[in-house]
Amino acid sequence: MGQLNIAVIIKLEPDFSEGNVSYNPDGTLNRAETKNTLGPHSAIAAHAAFFGKVMYGAKVSIGTMGPPMADLALQQAQQISDAEELHLYSDRLFAGADTLGTAEVLKTGIHKMKEKMDIVFSGHRASDGETGQTGPQTAWKLGFTFLGNVISYTVDMETRILRAKRLISLQGTPNIIEEIEAPLPVFISIDPTYKSSFDKVSQRLAFHKYQKEATERADNYKDYFTMFNAKELGVDETLVGLPGSPTIVYKVERVPKSTATRKAEVVDGSDPEQIKKVVAKMKEALDAMVIK
Amino acid sequence: MEKYDVAIIGGGSAGLAALKQLSNLGKQAILLEAGSEIGAKNISGGILYSKKPQKGTVVNVEDVYENFLNDAPFERKITKYILHSTSKDKVYSMDLTAAHDYQSNFGYSVLLHKLNSWFAKQAIESAEKFGGGIIPGVHVKSITWNESGNAIIQTDELDEFEVKAVIAADGVNSEIADMVDARPKFTPTQLYQGVKVIVKLPEEIIEKRFGISSDEGAAHLFAGDITLNHIGGGFLYTNSDTLSVGAVYHYHSQLTNPSEPSALIDALLKNPMISEFIKDDVPIKSKIDKSLPQEEQLRVRFAMAKHIKNWNEIRSSYLSSSGRQRLIDSGKYKTDEDIKTRLDGIENQLTKLGVSFGSDYVEAEYGAKLVPDGKRCRMQKPFFKNILFVGDAAGRGVFVGPKIEGLNVGIDDGVRAANAVARAIDKNDFSANSLGEYYSKETENSPYTTDMKQIDKNYLKIFLDATKDIPKDIIGSRYGPILKMMSNERLRGIAVKFANILGYDKLLPMIESEDTYVKIPIQLAERLGNTVSSSYSPSIPSLADRIGNLSYNDDHSSHIKVLNPNSEFMKKMVTLCPAKCYTEEGGNVIIQHEGCVDCGTCSQETEWKHPRGEKGIHYKYG
Repeated sequence: MGQLNIAVIIKLEPDFSEGNVSYNPDGTLNRAETKNTLGPHSAIAAHAAFFGKVMYGAKVSIGTMGPPMADLALQQAQQISDAEELHLYSDRLFAGADTLGTAEVLKTGIHKMKEKMDIVFSGHRASDGETGQTGPQTAWKLGFTFLGNVISYTVDMETRILRAKRLISLQGTPNIIEEIEAPLPVFISIDPTYKSSFDKVSQRLAFHKYQKEATERADNYKDYFTMFNAKELGVDETLVGLPGSPTIVYKVERVPKSTATRKAEVVDGSDPEQIKKVVAKMKEALDAMVIK
Repeated sequence: MEKYDVAIIGGGSAGLAALKQLSNLGKQAILLEAGSEIGAKNISGGILYSKKPQKGTVVNVEDVYENFLNDAPFERKITKYILHSTSKDKVYSMDLTAAHDYQSNFGYSVLLHKLNSWFAKQAIESAEKFGGGIIPGVHVKSITWNESGNAIIQTDELDEFEVKAVIAADGVNSEIADMVDARPKFTPTQLYQGVKVIVKLPEEIIEKRFGISSDEGAAHLFAGDITLNHIGGGFLYTNSDTLSVGAVYHYHSQLTNPSEPSALIDALLKNPMISEFIKDDVPIKSKIDKSLPQEEQLRVRFAMAKHIKNWNEIRSSYLSSSGRQRLIDSGKYKTDEDIKTRLDGIENQLTKLGVSFGSDYVEAEYGAKLVPDGKRCRMQKPFFKNILFVGDAAGRGVFVGPKIEGLNVGIDDGVRAANAVARAIDKNDFSANSLGEYYSKETENSPYTTDMKQIDKNYLKIFLDATKDIPKDIIGSRYGPILKMMSNERLRGIAVKFANILGYDKLLPMIESEDTYVKIPIQLAERLGNTVSSSYSPSIPSLADRIGNLSYNDDHSSHIKVLNPNSEFMKKMVTLCPAKCYTEEGGNVIIQHEGCVDCGTCSQETEWKHPRGEKGIHYKYG
């Protein structure tokens, strides 16, 4: 029974919570004034890695591509996952990368990590861009089996086979859960509904022991942290940043608001007469329905 | 099935002390807590005592946690203890600091979320050495016994497991006591209902206003018209940068003549003396001009929220010596003046956004709990098979006039229970005859138990000394002769002896009456009191706003089931539930559990359970 090695790729994203986010007068996000935080989907991926730590004593490493201040996201992810290795890939050459250019950096970074990875986790997507492809593209570049929408997993440490449940939601059909198995190594893009569960007292005790360790490590995250520029990482410069990105964003347009098809009426909630009218209308609408 | 020696159920001050003590004795123990973290479900009035009784010994908080005095996040050491009698704008004050200091090493004001989290950290560190620890988010739903007498614990969250002994520290509404039928549910005559709000106030304003230094604190107690004719009273304790303002009333008195718990708090806050105590400068948001484009409205709204958040954070640090130091240490500011300049800058920006500043107060948290009166409800034998009950779960609170102690009693009980379990592990005998009886004897020997059984004549003398200037006709014909006899040094001993022969059963109706808690204080205030006026009227949040400000993790189904929807008791719950979970519709009372604060006020006639693990109320202060 060998060691289980897990990597997580994460992203620093704007904090959209009130009091932290700022908007420009034209209603677009003011990135300079907005605080940043670990992306919510990245956080879920870190939780999934921590599950491996608690259940199988896995060794966790985290990698991210971003500006130097993205060390904040690494620290937050370490706090969740009890990681022992934090990588930041940061270079001006990486700027302007699309998902494929990003995947190249992440793949190279994962190869640079101390251990040979058995599982790599990514979030489902980013909250500041529809970049759900980064995970699958990294998997393709790594040559790992890709498993998407995973809501739970177990690993048979003897046979080195991973079993996972995938949530499949197709419009118009009931949701189904697929149970699949794949030999390690695998790349897992974690479903937003993923939640670790630990059913035994001993597992809960391990959970809290490692959680405490994670807090101690995150308090001294610099001890686990390495920053790589393009040269140190040894990437092929034609495959990263703008040159490595087949797509570029050349125009941004706001979606025009469609005119409302429903007729809305403003009601004064403190006026009982007006509320009575609302109730009467609701009753009328309900009476017209078939199900009573 | 996994097996352990001992499980402690409930991560309050008592349960945590048991865990720490067992670990101190080198025994493995696990503690199960229903909240998502330690402290989530804990609330108290707010003073933790360390005592040095003349007869017998107690185990104090600093004995259990060796670095308590140096490191624990308590709030302030209470150095002033004052009782105020109120009637409208008149207040008559008596200094009871001597009563507070009586047989005590110290009394600290505390906020339980913070404090219990610290206790937990210490306890875990010790427990981990022996393979134990704390498991939050777990709600115990049943305990059964196998043929070898070991307890099988079933929870809503984990696979069942087996233990040799259980320490039940699950509070005043102990489900463990209920599910194994160890004792009847506490009745309203045995309980007090407490409600509390946390008020924010910067450190240095507190110190100036209450005349205390940075390592001192004040406790103010209130009786008189603020009680709305109930037996009980109000309190205001200074914390580091908050105040605890609360009301504690005999539940039976509340049931006889129901007042909404939040109205009892409001009566306190509206008292001019308390209004002035809680006053602060607050930013008042202006209404956003609806004629502006939507983007601009949104920008203004977010900008206001951001600046107010910053202003609050920087101001509370600026008005605290340690806070200023922290800001300077962070490297963001060089001097105190720098911080002030930044603060003024934010104020300017806020003014530009239409925000003004005025006098008001800032409420941070509303909460409620029941308090067991040990004189009336302590378990005579606090065990059942191999389950030992501690603290509130065993009904062990000390309630004698203004002497209200619970946390220290729970900690002492927790240690006694831990010692008993450790002894049982060594002897490998967990039978009721050995483990239970031993623990029962140990608690019976506790000086706190004596406090629950007998009047202490020396403690009484302190009161008599404090009341010696009061004109005798206020005390009235009923209490005059008693007081006269008690005031005589020689007769007092005989009188107290006689009183203790009568016992609390007969004495309590005499001592705890509307006269002593309401009428006499009102008379005192009216005839002897000073006039106090307030410069503003606090804008008190509605109960809906108070509940809206609390954090919950909603459970879809209710943890409380109404048994008799049209009983007289349930109809009173419409008024008495501190979270207004009950409404009456067509003669039947129905529950909406979402706002429930798990206080147990309604437990008498409901099927009452704590919410499942991690669900329900989550206090931030407690």
